Amino acid sequence: MTTTVCGRCKSSGAVTDHQGRQDGAVVWTILRCPTCNFSWRDSEPARAIDPAARSPDFAVDAGDLQRYPKILQQ
Amino acid sequence: MNDLPNRARSISSLRDFLELLEDSGQAITWSDPVMPEPGVRNIAVAASRDANGAPAIVFDNITGYPGKRLAVGVHGSWDNIALLLGRPKGTTIRELFFEIAGRWGDQEAQISSVPEAQAPVHECRIEQDINLYDVLPVYRINEYDGGFYIGKASVASRDPLDPDNFGKQNVGIYRLQIQGPDSFTLMTIPSHDMGRQIMAAEREGVPLKIAVMLGNHPGLAVFAATPIGYEESEYSYASAMMGAPIRLTKSGNGIDILADSEIVIEAELQLGERALEGPFGEFPGSYSGVRKAPIFKVTAVSHRRDPIFENIYIGRGWTEHDTLIGLHTSAPIYAQLRENFPEVTAVNALYQHGLTGIISVKNRMAGFAKTVALRALSTPHGVMYLKNLIMVDADVDPFDLNQVMWALSTRTRADDIIVLPNMPAVPIDPSAVIPGKGHRLIIDATSYLPPDPVGEAHLVTPPTGDEIDALSKRIREMQLGALS
Repeated sequence: MTTTVCGRCKSSGAVTDHQGRQDGAVVWTILRCPTCNFSWRDSEPARAIDPAARSPDFAVDAGDLQRYPKILQQ
Repeated sequence: MNDLPNRARSISSLRDFLELLEDSGQAITWSDPVMPEPGVRNIAVAASRDANGAPAIVFDNITGYPGKRLAVGVHGSWDNIALLLGRPKGTTIRELFFEIAGRWGDQEAQISSVPEAQAPVHECRIEQDINLYDVLPVYRINEYDGGFYIGKASVASRDPLDPDNFGKQNVGIYRLQIQGPDSFTLMTIPSHDMGRQIMAAEREGVPLKIAVMLGNHPGLAVFAATPIGYEESEYSYASAMMGAPIRLTKSGNGIDILADSEIVIEAELQLGERALEGPFGEFPGSYSGVRKAPIFKVTAVSHRRDPIFENIYIGRGWTEHDTLIGLHTSAPIYAQLRENFPEVTAVNALYQHGLTGIISVKNRMAGFAKTVALRALSTPHGVMYLKNLIMVDADVDPFDLNQVMWALSTRTRADDIIVLPNMPAVPIDPSAVIPGKGHRLIIDATSYLPPDPVGEAHLVTPPTGDEIDALSKRIREMQLGALS
């Protein structure tokens, strides 16, 4: 099932980047979260893409994106 | 197969090498249907359990990617590396090390130029409606990666401040995270050539164009990852080390690229922009953090007809990453140390890109091995990576961990251990005090020389040499014969 809620930061509004087809039928969809840039395929195991099943160690805090450091600063 | 050296020198593309591997029983085609996740990862990890003999795997039936091909594990075993170097399967790691070390500085580069119209890489060209997902059968390499990664990209760029200088052209392996259909982030650090170029372009406000080569001459993937000087061309170096010509052509955005690569992605740095990147399961066997990384916009894609997307499994070792770069991490440290200290007899920096290294040395005087260790920390790779160094005598093979453990057990006193606190460290070392800063450890496991009062122990000298090697082989054959 395709969901537009990000499994990593729980933001909504994911965009569709690509659909995989087999014999003309869509077999999976690749989505991307415009908030945290997480990309996923809706056919992946739940522990990778379902916010209820994912490890909280790998969550991204959508309310505090400033905490993530910027590399290659002058 | 008696012509292995000539066959290795005649390789000019990934396809040539896959053919050689297949002829040697070192490449297989996976034609059963497989889901991108977790199927591809599972198969790649299962293969990489055999660091000595794993084959390359070419997938041609990934669900949702009909007609597309993916190769993993091309450099995934010592046997595959041996074949690339023109040596037979079963060649020991120590022999492979000296094969590489013997080539260092010994050969001339042979670079030939192929007109763009005749270059196989430009057989197909996409300049409109670019969607990387249409071209690349990607998959999540480790389950908590932040997206779909291109893990084995050789990225070519010209120095943005000196674009006509061939030598300052950089080719390096960097991890790329796809960020939508026509964008990707590139992870690097300021001490890497690409990091320097990005910072220079942003400081001066000048464009930085790159060409991302996928599915390349297998020598380039090996040697582009070698820490050589900034003004040395990786193409020249790879050609010299392979003892074979390298065919170059131009990308659409004016960068020298391999003429026979499978796929080339042309892109331009978005000056000053950053996008969230990571995590990514990296070579220490742990995930990197999430950071804001430079972002590139894709301007065109060229590829061969029916291209092969080559990727890598990287994560908690052993993985293809270790066999891909291990020897070529070790050999430059060996060559650079021997410029000052010819007493160095071998360097094993296979472990996690040299986070642990073992160096064998003939002690010139008491304590000399510690001096050599400190010099190793100032080699280009040692500055950031050599975290734990074990120094052993020349009578210990640093590639034989049983011998190394013997030296540690019998030749190390607790005060032969030096800790250098708060040194530079590669940022993804998970044990660092803070990313980019950590401690160095030197363990001197060499024997004692005068004026040390203990001196060398009276050692047992077991029989060695050709006769023992032949006996060992005969015992093995008898054992195998008994089993069959």
